[in-house]
Amino acid sequence: MSARALRTTLIVLAALGIALAGYLTYLHYSGTTPPCSIKGNPCSQVQKSRYSELAGVPVALIGLLGYIVILGSLLAPEGEQARFATMALTLGGLGFSAYLTYREVFTLHKICEWCVGSAVLMTIMMCLSVWRFLRGDVDARAPTLAQADGPEPAAPPLGAAPS
Amino acid sequence: MSHSPGVEDDEADLTRKQRREQAREQRKALEEEAAASAKRKARLTQLGIVVAVVVAVVVVILIATGGGGAKKVAPHSAEANQTVAAVNTLVGGIPQSGNVLGNPNAPVTLQYFGDLECPICKEFTLGALPSIIQKWVKTGKVKIEYRSMETATREPEVFDSQQAAALAAGKQDKMWNFLETFYHEQGEEDSGYVTESYLQGLAQQVPGLNLTQWTNDRNNPALAAQIATDKQAANNAGFTGTPSFLIGKTGGTPSKLEYGSLTEPTSFNEAIEKLLKG
Repeated sequence: MSARALRTTLIVLAALGIALAGYLTYLHYSGTTPPCSIKGNPCSQVQKSRYSELAGVPVALIGLLGYIVILGSLLAPEGEQARFATMALTLGGLGFSAYLTYREVFTLHKICEWCVGSAVLMTIMMCLSVWRFLRGDVDARAPTLAQADGPEPAAPPLGAAPS
Repeated sequence: MSHSPGVEDDEADLTRKQRREQAREQRKALEEEAAASAKRKARLTQLGIVVAVVVAVVVVILIATGGGGAKKVAPHSAEANQTVAAVNTLVGGIPQSGNVLGNPNAPVTLQYFGDLECPICKEFTLGALPSIIQKWVKTGKVKIEYRSMETATREPEVFDSQQAAALAAGKQDKMWNFLETFYHEQGEEDSGYVTESYLQGLAQQVPGLNLTQWTNDRNNPALAAQIATDKQAANNAGFTGTPSFLIGKTGGTPSKLEYGSLTEPTSFNEAIEKLLKG
């Protein structure tokens, strides 16, 4: 996967996350019951439980802000720092998703498909951004693209010298 | 073919130059590799630090939001045995029928509207109620009907489930043992502690309760109907919180009981005395 494709994929996923968390934030504030395919509408129960807010802030809003900041880090000028930021943010997002999923499964004993959707999205984004950070790709515009476009940057140019 | 010494010198120079070049390239390659490896290591370290910070923050959030919240008393533990004994001392030997505690022919009926997860109800149940039971119920003058009203329990499904669990114990005339145990071991409000295993644990602390029958009865539609009736009655009475009380002569029209304290039975005693006299 090229550096560019990786970044584009992450941008698309972050945009999806914004749409999803934005919708859930809207539901929270409007008090609308979320559509849910599972019997008994556990989504509604999850979203009306005390765990739908953290220190008074709806978790859907926290998620929305998280996705926005992640998108910001992806749109920022490409570089080591930006890749680090994306990686750290998605790891944080994954940690938060893990906490919410724990509450759903072990405290509320309810599963909400919207929340699972966000958790899956965040997991994929975390994997991609950790990979992107570790391999240290640079942007297509950077001059060292030929060397850096691969998991092993700067392969030793031994073949350059005749033996 | 003869070579002039000057050309040989040139070739030798070139080879030396090439060697130098080669050595430089190799050095450069090694340096680059070392640099890349150092960078990879640095990135892994950064990743490790981020992971550690995230884990720490999640643990802090978990603890701050009540680490699971389930304060579960294991059946047959010392604490459970103590509760069972206390409950037995209080309601043991008093006739029970469904949600009613006390002599079926008692002249006065007190209706107690409560939510099993409501802490103020616990305050009353462990505060003023024992003395009311001691003074009026055990002597056959008053019977108490426990009725449900959803207040502290936020999830309607949980409310219905816990109330049906209590009513199912009532099918074996042990509802009061169940709800007294519930109030004794009540968890932190709204912490989600009322789970299936929590209710099972409570049922196991009710002496003599047939668990198989209890489990079957919990799905009895009559219990859901009872919960709906209680809700309607609470609405009709205009109750806005729990605990709330209706009191009256058995068979007559009850009226609201206004209480001054939930830990002292004074207002209850006065209302009962008045009804018994009149």
